[in-house]
Amino acid sequence: MISQFFILSSKGDPLIYKDFRGDSGGRDVAELFYRKLTGLPGDESPVVMHHDDRHFIHIRHSGLYLVATTSENISPFSLLELLSRLATLLGDYCGSLSEGTISRNVALVYELLDEVLDYGYVQTTSMEMLRNFIQTEAVVSKPFSLFDLSSVGLFGAETQQSKVAPSTAASRPVLASRSDQSQKNEVFLDVVERLSVLIASNGSLLKVDVQGEIRLKSFLPSGSEMRIGLTEEFCVGKSELRGYGPGIRVDEVSFHSSVLLEEFESHRILRLQPPQGELTVMRYQLSDDLPSPLPFRLFPSVQWDRGSGSQALNVRLHLPLPRGVVSLSQELSGPEQKAELGEGALRWDLPRVQGGSQLSGLFQMDVPGLPGPPGQGHSATAPLGLGPASLSFELPRHTCSGLQVRFLRLAFRPCGSTSPHKWVRHLSHSDAYVIRI
Amino acid sequence: MTDSKYFTTTKKGEIFELKAELNSDKKEKKKEAVKKVIASMTVGKDVSALFPDVVNCMQTDNLELKKLVYLYLMNYAKSQPDMAIMAVNTFVKVVANAVAALSEIAESHPSSNLLDLNPQSINKLLTALNECTEWGQIFILDCLANYTPKDDREAQSICERVTPRLSHANSAVVLSAVKVLMKFMEMLSKDLDYYGTLLKKLAPPLVTLLSAEPELQYVALRNINLIVQKRPEILKHEMKVFFVKYNDPIYVKLEKLDIMIRLASQANIAQVLAELKEYATEVDVDFVRKAVRAIGRCAIKVEQSAERCVSTLLDLIQTKVNYVVQEAIVVIKDIFRKYPNKYESVIATLCENLDSLDEPEARAAMIWIVGEYAERIDNADELLESFLEGFHDESTQVQLQLLTAIVKLFLKKPTETQELVQQVLSLATQDSDNPDLRDRGYIYWRLLSTDPVAAKEVVLAEKPLISEETDLIEPTLLDELICYIGTLASVYHKPPSAFVEGGRGVVHKSLPPRTASNESTESPETAPAGAPSGEQPDVIPTQGDLLGDLLNLDLGPPVSGPPLATSSVQMGAVDLLGGGLDSLIGGPNFVAPPAAAVPANLGATMGSGLSDLFDLTSGVGTLSGSYVAPKAVWLPAMKAKGLEISGTFTRQVGSISMDLQLTNKALQVMTDFAIQFNRNSFGLAPAAPLQVHAPLSPNQTVEISLPLNTVGSVMKMEPLNNLQVAVKNNIDVFYFSTLYPLHILFVEDGKMDRQMFLATWKDIPNENEAQFQIRDCPLNAEAVSSRLQSSNIFTVAKRNVEGQDMLYQSLKLTNGIWVLAELRIQPGNPSFTLSLKCRAPEVSQHVYQAYETILKN
Repeated sequence: MISQFFILSSKGDPLIYKDFRGDSGGRDVAELFYRKLTGLPGDESPVVMHHDDRHFIHIRHSGLYLVATTSENISPFSLLELLSRLATLLGDYCGSLSEGTISRNVALVYELLDEVLDYGYVQTTSMEMLRNFIQTEAVVSKPFSLFDLSSVGLFGAETQQSKVAPSTAASRPVLASRSDQSQKNEVFLDVVERLSVLIASNGSLLKVDVQGEIRLKSFLPSGSEMRIGLTEEFCVGKSELRGYGPGIRVDEVSFHSSVLLEEFESHRILRLQPPQGELTVMRYQLSDDLPSPLPFRLFPSVQWDRGSGSQALNVRLHLPLPRGVVSLSQELSGPEQKAELGEGALRWDLPRVQGGSQLSGLFQMDVPGLPGPPGQGHSATAPLGLGPASLSFELPRHTCSGLQVRFLRLAFRPCGSTSPHKWVRHLSHSDAYVIRI
Repeated sequence: MTDSKYFTTTKKGEIFELKAELNSDKKEKKKEAVKKVIASMTVGKDVSALFPDVVNCMQTDNLELKKLVYLYLMNYAKSQPDMAIMAVNTFVKVVANAVAALSEIAESHPSSNLLDLNPQSINKLLTALNECTEWGQIFILDCLANYTPKDDREAQSICERVTPRLSHANSAVVLSAVKVLMKFMEMLSKDLDYYGTLLKKLAPPLVTLLSAEPELQYVALRNINLIVQKRPEILKHEMKVFFVKYNDPIYVKLEKLDIMIRLASQANIAQVLAELKEYATEVDVDFVRKAVRAIGRCAIKVEQSAERCVSTLLDLIQTKVNYVVQEAIVVIKDIFRKYPNKYESVIATLCENLDSLDEPEARAAMIWIVGEYAERIDNADELLESFLEGFHDESTQVQLQLLTAIVKLFLKKPTETQELVQQVLSLATQDSDNPDLRDRGYIYWRLLSTDPVAAKEVVLAEKPLISEETDLIEPTLLDELICYIGTLASVYHKPPSAFVEGGRGVVHKSLPPRTASNESTESPETAPAGAPSGEQPDVIPTQGDLLGDLLNLDLGPPVSGPPLATSSVQMGAVDLLGGGLDSLIGGPNFVAPPAAAVPANLGATMGSGLSDLFDLTSGVGTLSGSYVAPKAVWLPAMKAKGLEISGTFTRQVGSISMDLQLTNKALQVMTDFAIQFNRNSFGLAPAAPLQVHAPLSPNQTVEISLPLNTVGSVMKMEPLNNLQVAVKNNIDVFYFSTLYPLHILFVEDGKMDRQMFLATWKDIPNENEAQFQIRDCPLNAEAVSSRLQSSNIFTVAKRNVEGQDMLYQSLKLTNGIWVLAELRIQPGNPSFTLSLKCRAPEVSQHVYQAYETILKN
């Protein structure tokens, strides 16, 4: 059970503070928390900290600290889960989670907390339940317009592609105002994959790991049923075989509890009645055998290895350099690219990489005092501190597993309004894409 | 209108303004005002003065306003309790609280029986599990974990119903399910198919947790660390998921590293080493250091990899990166300790880096290496001398190491280094303020000046091997922590009593015992030593039945009846039999006069004193001699036609003997003595014939020591230590039966290697563990340890856990059975807790009696 909950700004100012059990010191715990956090030695974990018999558990979300305290030996998992649910809930209610939206909606946040937790016990985090109780309406910074922005966004990530739903479309309160409900019939469905890759210095693949999820953000009245059709060749586990081709194989799948699976076995269709708000419909992961070739290779050069129709965005190469590098000269293949030296590493930004292209960057560094190549015949090995290179990137309209959403059908037809907007996006981005040198 | 403007008002008359607004007639204005009040409250301003005004706003139909007031009220209820109580009555709580109530009851009254767990209620909980919200599931699973199923079948059926929770999206549900499964698995036999299935099912959910946010990952890794120590088989094929990602936070990296080492085995060591080598070249200094240490731990853990580890470390030393070199030297020292005389060829390379070492730990390690291998390093004296120059600026660790190293060097090369040793001894003893250093200096000095040979034996003694797993959690704590999986305790790796104040909800939890062992563990506790049992041990009276078997001699049944005194000389002993008999569980033969002081083993105490100083383990001069009980009457004269036999058993320097006292109370001379044993549990047999040299005339007594061996034929007896004996003389054959104390069977090489001990302890199933209480023993841990050692019960390790001394002891019986013990001693509490683990659990009871006998006499 939770003793206190508070939200601190990135500078440590309390935005929200609530004591649930009255069993503990008072509000200076927030200050105590921030002091402990900032004074923590580097190799100690800040996740669970304690001061005397008060235990702090926190997550960091959009620059804010969401902190729960307890004095009992309770499950840290449940606290972490709760905190991230609260972050989602606050995001759903206030539009997005930030210092500004929280301080604009203090009363709403307190009201939410009050319903979610009673005497420190979690009651419910379900949007469905909560909407019956919440009275306060969210205050949004500016009126929402569908057409005033050109950049795209996933719920968090910003990309620069046009022709997709505007980024703020997804970041407005789910239960905005009761008055104008009519025009907001929209559903956002995202297939997002995170790619972790480890490539050894000889080019061999040490580890590939894809974590994917299908996320849904629904502004439809809750209770409206929808069906999501996935690629039919989608196989779960090593042994299953479907379709003729190589299939889309994943190791493990888990579904949200609201998903009905009776059509999944036969047609790979997920049926669900999502509550309003954000929800992860399906999670899956696969490792080792990737059906498609890896998107990037780096020998001396970085290669972008997809078909020519696609492109990658915001590619960034991060290369730690030996200590004491003083200067860097560079020779890059494109004018919009940028390479910088900072924090002991080289950062090479490639805002846009066309599929199938090869880019080169030649960097020359001056490292005074670096011992020469050690030993005899070892001259080929890189000096200590160089590498491994890591790439971060986004691949819109591409999933590494090959999973696609075939269709998204709504059973529900809102009377008197246009049919709902449906936005389906696919995206892969890097989690840890590391190439050893 | 946004709430943020409420934060910015700082005018002086703010409270007044708010007051006015609160009392406004307009609902909207009131609402705005209450919002402002709440905003001020949040930033810490005192708005308690507005209490009556805010509470007044509650008289409204507007639910939103009502709830706002409620928020205010909750915050200030403490400072204005009376008003708050009045106000509270106007609220109706909206939220149903069944689940919270259930857990509140469960948590807050650990001792009461409010929540009675029985198969029926468990069944109901399991049904409810499928129907409630994720948060409720956590409470229910935690509640289930407190239940102890009555047998393995029940445990299995609960496990089967809990397993589906492993795929839940909420990690807290998953971990609570893992806890239930880990706990109940204890009760399942490893041969069961289901056991294997369960093991396989546990891995995927744990692996999945590692793709969550770093915060969850960290908490999960701390739990996995425990699980891996308890049941490494669950994750042994999942090494890859613990590989470190470059963008992991440092605290996640370090935890992963630790688990990688725990999972390292011969099968995957190449992969692990390749990873570690990569890590050692990263930029983060803390992480690099840990990675280098990890390579050393691999070498020590997986012997086959040692060579590769050493060459990897040498490669790293070649990089000349200061902190890498220093860490590498520290771990190479450990590798030398573990595998003596194998990798010393690298010493030359190490010596090249002598000058770059600036950290005390690395300097101390290097000095240790130079001292230890002084005979192979030509310029050892020069190297050590160079350290000596700044002796007083060094840290204590380095000073102590330097002192010892130079003494070692002197003992190895006495001719060239006399001056050096003089110098260091005087530095240590005369110029130092540090008592540790001074004392060590004096001891060396005296040793060297009085007996250089002894000094050599002490200083250059063979060192005990270091254990392979350096930071294993000790088994009992680990078992307790397994019961706390998915709680804060599992993150801190400490029992809840260590960090939850007041003890509310803190119950000591332990893993359920295996079903079969219930009886054997409970019986000793229910029959505490020292309490009158009321029943006469029936060993002797029932002998008649067994006698037919004995020695295959064909004789009439002997007179049975209570033993009686036959002469005044024996009165003392007989009294003991009569009065003291009751107080023993084991039998009459241990009876000792309460006041009799056992001669202290002088050799042992001296030896242990010395060994403390030099950190040698086994006592140097221990005169091996077990405790000897005073002689007791085994065969009363009236049962043996005038022959009275009393005796005891002894063990001296590895040989067992039966010390007999034969008294002739008949009127005729006795001759032609002979003795024979029936088959017995440990194969005890006379090693020589019974030698009574002269005829025994009436009223004469003779003392004989009969040497015994353990190569006789074996038959399991009941009780285990029962020995049936036949004695023959010219008059007749007499039978009697006696119980021998088990400690005469404890052999001298019963000291188990530390790591062996840990492994064996883990390996012996918990069902074989028996727990006993030793009451009213006033000794402290030191005294206990040395006293037990003289009876060949060896202390393998000693630890202090929360103020309690934990002695880990081993002993070996003549037939090769090992018994492992954990003795828990609380200072000031004369009751000790003894936990025994043995593959043959039936000996535990007797080992416990041996402990009692040795410690109480």
